[in-house]
Amino acid sequence: MISVLEYLRPEKLDDALHIMGGGEHTPAAGGTDLVLQLRDGRPRKILDLERLGLDFIRNAGDIIEIGSLVTHAAIASNPLIAKSLPVLSRASSLVGSLQIRNRGTVGGNIVNASPCADTVPALLLYDAELVLKSSGGTRTVPLSQFVLGPYRTSLGPGEILHSIICRKAEVSTGWSYIKLGRRQAVNISRMTLATSIFMNGDGKIGSVRISAGSVFPTPSRIPRIERMLVGRTPSQELYRQAANIAADMMIKESGHRWSTPYKKPVLINLLTRALTEAQSKLIAGMVS
Amino acid sequence: MVTTDVAVKFTLNGIPMERDVPPNWTLLRFLRDGLGFTGTKCGCEIGECGACTVIFNGEAVNACLVLAPQIDGASIWTIEGVASSGRKLHPIQQAFVECDAVHCGFCSPGMVMSTVALLLHNRIPSNAVLKESLAGNLCRCTGYLQIIEAVRKAAESMDDMHLEKFRR
Repeated sequence: MISVLEYLRPEKLDDALHIMGGGEHTPAAGGTDLVLQLRDGRPRKILDLERLGLDFIRNAGDIIEIGSLVTHAAIASNPLIAKSLPVLSRASSLVGSLQIRNRGTVGGNIVNASPCADTVPALLLYDAELVLKSSGGTRTVPLSQFVLGPYRTSLGPGEILHSIICRKAEVSTGWSYIKLGRRQAVNISRMTLATSIFMNGDGKIGSVRISAGSVFPTPSRIPRIERMLVGRTPSQELYRQAANIAADMMIKESGHRWSTPYKKPVLINLLTRALTEAQSKLIAGMVS
Repeated sequence: MVTTDVAVKFTLNGIPMERDVPPNWTLLRFLRDGLGFTGTKCGCEIGECGACTVIFNGEAVNACLVLAPQIDGASIWTIEGVASSGRKLHPIQQAFVECDAVHCGFCSPGMVMSTVALLLHNRIPSNAVLKESLAGNLCRCTGYLQIIEAVRKAAESMDDMHLEKFRR
């Protein structure tokens, strides 16, 4: 049984923020996570964000701003995002099923703050910043600081996620996105890895970005390994060495869990594969 | 618990409607219990099985994950609206029959609606696209091969005019 006491769908952002300011309403986007939480949950008042014009994708120089209500399907089919944020494009195309992607939104994926949210590791690669709005004003917070823990964020009372600002990938960057699960469709990720790599003219790694979902308590970049790889000549041994360090970090930060005997070798193998795949895309000229 | 019904205007299978819907109902419950349209099946109710797939503004969605008030302004197609008249099957349904793509039949309405949505967007889908478009629909009678064959048959043999109405 779903418990909804009230359903409001304002058409103006100011009206929505005013209602949110009352502190009684739960914001709704696509509903693919929320409707599940409404079943047998505490009764809630719903404020639907759908009519606030937050389904935009804006191209502005070095950045792309994505409205929080853009669906996974819209992101996955957008040519600008495929070109400039390819890892996000891929991640969005792998969410749930087509039915879920047609309703679920990128903003909902972020705010729900599941440790295995598919789009978050991808967005972290692009230094995503979140534009949060309330009746008191607007603030911008890096995505890396927004998710505090499983299903916990720093979204303040009365605030909604308005949009996400991503820095475009540098031209000729290789990338990979690996989603591990029991099956291909309608799949809750066991682990996600997103990488991007840029090579210098001398064949050494110029820059590299790595983020992981379901590895640490929150989806996060792994700056220690990123720093370690820069300036080095890429090789399988190097990648495996980096992946081993990542596995040690996982155990240190997430603790020894029942899944550790599985996750440790899997992380080592998948991260090695992820970096190799990103590099091979670069060599194959498969980058835009 | 006091709840206030929400007035919605929408189009169901091409017919404009106005109703008051409880805010704690899903679209699935509204179709089945509110309107008596029981062709849309209630399976898992968590968006995994696809038995409740309907077309919502031209896209396949799980009716179990849409709140009933969210249909305001929307155009919805269910399995009841697929055949044009009471007696003659739609070419997609006919293809399902001819390919033996129906076993117990529980997944069939959802499969047919996913097929409609697929062919609306992609008249000649590749095998990869076809499988991806049906990946959100489970069949527990293991009839996937026949279902894929039926979708392919419908895609190849059907006239475009049989898809026109779903665009409205």
